[in-house]
Amino acid sequence: MNASTTSNPGFSGYFPTWCPGCGNFGIWAALKTAFSKLGYNPESFAIVYGIGCSGNMNDFLWVNSFHALHGRSLPNAIGIKIANRDLPVIVIAGDGDCYGEGGNHLIHAARGNHDITVIIHDNRVYGLTTGQVAPTAIKGFKAKSTPSGIIEVEINPVALSVSQGATFVAQGFSGDINHLVDLIVMAVEHRGFSLVNVFQPCVTFNHKTTYQWYRERIYKLSNDNHDPSDITKALNKSLELEGKIPLGVIYKNERPIYTDSLIQLKDQPLIEAKLDIDLSSFMAEFI
Amino acid sequence: MIDLTVKIGGEAGFGIMTTGLFLGKIATRSGYHAFEYSEYPSLIRGGHNIIEVRISDEKVFSQEKKVDVLVCLNEETYILHKEEVKENGMVVIDQEKIDMTKYRNLVKKFTYVNLPFNKIIKDNGLATVMINNIALGALTYLLGAEISILKSLISEQFARKGEEIINKNIKGVQLGYESVKKSNSDGYHIKIPKTKEVIPQMYISGNEIIGLGSVAAGCKFYAAYPMTPSSALLHYLASKGEKAGMVVKHAEDEISVINMALGASWAGVRSMVGTSGGGFALMVESVSLAGITETPIVVIMGQRPGPATGMPTWTEQGDLLFVLHAGHGEFPKILLAPGDIEEAFKLTIEAFNLADIYQTPVILLGDKYLQEGHQSIEYSRIKNYEFKIDRGKLLKREELDKIKDYKRYLITDDGISPRALPGMKGSLHQVNSYEHIEDGHTTEDAQQRSKQVDKRNRKTETFLKNHTRLPVLYGDKTAPLTIISWGSMKGPVLQAMKEWNGKFNLLHFTYIWPLPQKELTEMLKGLNKTLLIENNSTAQLGQLLKMVTGIELENNKLLKYSGRPIYPEEVLEKVKEMKI
Repeated sequence: MNASTTSNPGFSGYFPTWCPGCGNFGIWAALKTAFSKLGYNPESFAIVYGIGCSGNMNDFLWVNSFHALHGRSLPNAIGIKIANRDLPVIVIAGDGDCYGEGGNHLIHAARGNHDITVIIHDNRVYGLTTGQVAPTAIKGFKAKSTPSGIIEVEINPVALSVSQGATFVAQGFSGDINHLVDLIVMAVEHRGFSLVNVFQPCVTFNHKTTYQWYRERIYKLSNDNHDPSDITKALNKSLELEGKIPLGVIYKNERPIYTDSLIQLKDQPLIEAKLDIDLSSFMAEFI
Repeated sequence: MIDLTVKIGGEAGFGIMTTGLFLGKIATRSGYHAFEYSEYPSLIRGGHNIIEVRISDEKVFSQEKKVDVLVCLNEETYILHKEEVKENGMVVIDQEKIDMTKYRNLVKKFTYVNLPFNKIIKDNGLATVMINNIALGALTYLLGAEISILKSLISEQFARKGEEIINKNIKGVQLGYESVKKSNSDGYHIKIPKTKEVIPQMYISGNEIIGLGSVAAGCKFYAAYPMTPSSALLHYLASKGEKAGMVVKHAEDEISVINMALGASWAGVRSMVGTSGGGFALMVESVSLAGITETPIVVIMGQRPGPATGMPTWTEQGDLLFVLHAGHGEFPKILLAPGDIEEAFKLTIEAFNLADIYQTPVILLGDKYLQEGHQSIEYSRIKNYEFKIDRGKLLKREELDKIKDYKRYLITDDGISPRALPGMKGSLHQVNSYEHIEDGHTTEDAQQRSKQVDKRNRKTETFLKNHTRLPVLYGDKTAPLTIISWGSMKGPVLQAMKEWNGKFNLLHFTYIWPLPQKELTEMLKGLNKTLLIENNSTAQLGQLLKMVTGIELENNKLLKYSGRPIYPEEVLEKVKEMKI
């Protein structure tokens, strides 16, 4: 097992330790293709990883990255972006990480329209901790922490993000890599807070929402059946949770990003701001 | 010698804090030293607020118990605080509204000054909030200060609000001044006339000077969630952010606060967060993250009485051991605790340098007493303070170019690895909350794990070699008693020492952790009798010193945990009790 070095433009790290058949492989492949399509090299952008099976991708992609704490990747990403507005920042996290432990951060990141892209691996179960319910588990789902079935209804990440101010929200499927590549590229190119909720079967701990289960339900959005610039239509689409499940861009809109409003960043990124400051004018008011 | 304490009390919402601030500045602009102490409840309107300003022609280190002048903006102030006024002290009160005959039988004799606030307000059609200006005008006359100083303070304060507001405030001041002039032709017997040579001084709070220090240190990102006593630091920096080129973020919670700061720090900017015990408790997991990812961060940790919500607007030094142990796992951490305004400025700058040099969290322990109180300090001591911004092993472009295969967690002798920033060519690396090998990849290998733990721990040794500072001994070296204390309790002890010089000295800790075992043990062994003074109930510094040196210091101790700071009078009383 050897990690490749800077000379490798292919983003390759160690070989993944995910279970054979894991949906993470599809997302991994889609990400690498999307980075190449975007013209990125491993040093030209940054990834912030959450903790979970998805976060373990830190070792399987060789990119400048920050492997965060469980639930906290969004504030790390926001801080990175404020410090260096020119560095593209992508968050890779799971449903338990971003919708459970760090749910509060999602709401506020969306409100701020921070220019980061969040890719959520949504497998509706906790994999790395060996099979407890996730916030996206379908009501009644039986797992180690809910042997009689989960009482809560599932969280609705698309409705939540759209309603809280995200300006790009899409839904993808790890079983359709080509489609997912396009969504990731669009999300990264979008100026503002973008979220791609990726359905991903967990072949080990979730025998309900399998590849087969998704394939029977998913359909693709296009100009013919959806207008992503219309927030009411987007919210309506977000309510299609179990019968028919839409894939594609559900919502897209434009508004100024967080750093646009920071006068401090007008002339240069924060990391280039000068450190030496004459204190005299700050001291005068205290005399 | 002039040593005068003026206490102003009234209902929350009366502008008591501004009154204290102006009085302090009248003193400093007249050439005197000043120290402020305030007490207020955790609510916005209707509670009882007091502010004390101690004014002296010598350096003043703390508040005191006796009150020379009590200004009562309401009757409650008189009821609650009349016992603190010294014999023949002055009480300024609205005798036309408050029936004073019921207090006829008081044993103590005061000089009463009638200041008919309510009549003045009514007769002149003033807003009720003018009550503080009337009081300030009256005080200016009674203390023999120049009214022009007060008028310029008002003009400066309300400059942005325009001429009309300035004139209204000046009118209130003038009416207060004239009113007491008519009834008291010679004012109060302790006067603070403008001295011939006024040395420029700043009158500044701990929060403000920490903010100033962070600007000086090149901090470019400050995140916080409001929490007393550090909220005013957020307010100060938020108001100066654009001018200082600093982004100031009020985030959704303290967990977000510290993680945003760690993100910004990894990307390359000097970053700081500010909070109190409860907020810091939320940050603790991420303090550990800073430890393993080796990300520099400065934390301003303003203590107040806990547990839980405790007494939000009061003071305590109850979090030393909590902060010392904060963060799961083992990693180096640096704790500093300034004793006064000047140290707060210098240690804030030092904190940023140490965070960059050691790539680990540096925590500055303040408290309500230090952070919210104003103190006077010579302008030149801050203006002429020389320091360097030292970013440690942060790699410059040309330095990174020379490195062929960059490793973020390179094993080094001093434990510190060269740091490249994401986005730099040749910087490819990851920082990792998991244990990792030199290039940042995750590992569970026994040898690699031990190597990285050792590497991180070596930073403590390097700190002890290069940057630690032993506690400072103040006062007569040969004194028979040594008081041991830390952080903000420096002031009350130094103030007490002025009364009884030669009887005791003070060994004061500002560098709290890591501590050099050998030198410290020798130092403590060399002391005569000791007295431990702390603003907490469990003698936490004493416990820490025992842990490091094995020396028991808790035989004689003065501990206070009522939410109030220790007074110099209490120090003297304790020393007296010990029959040195």
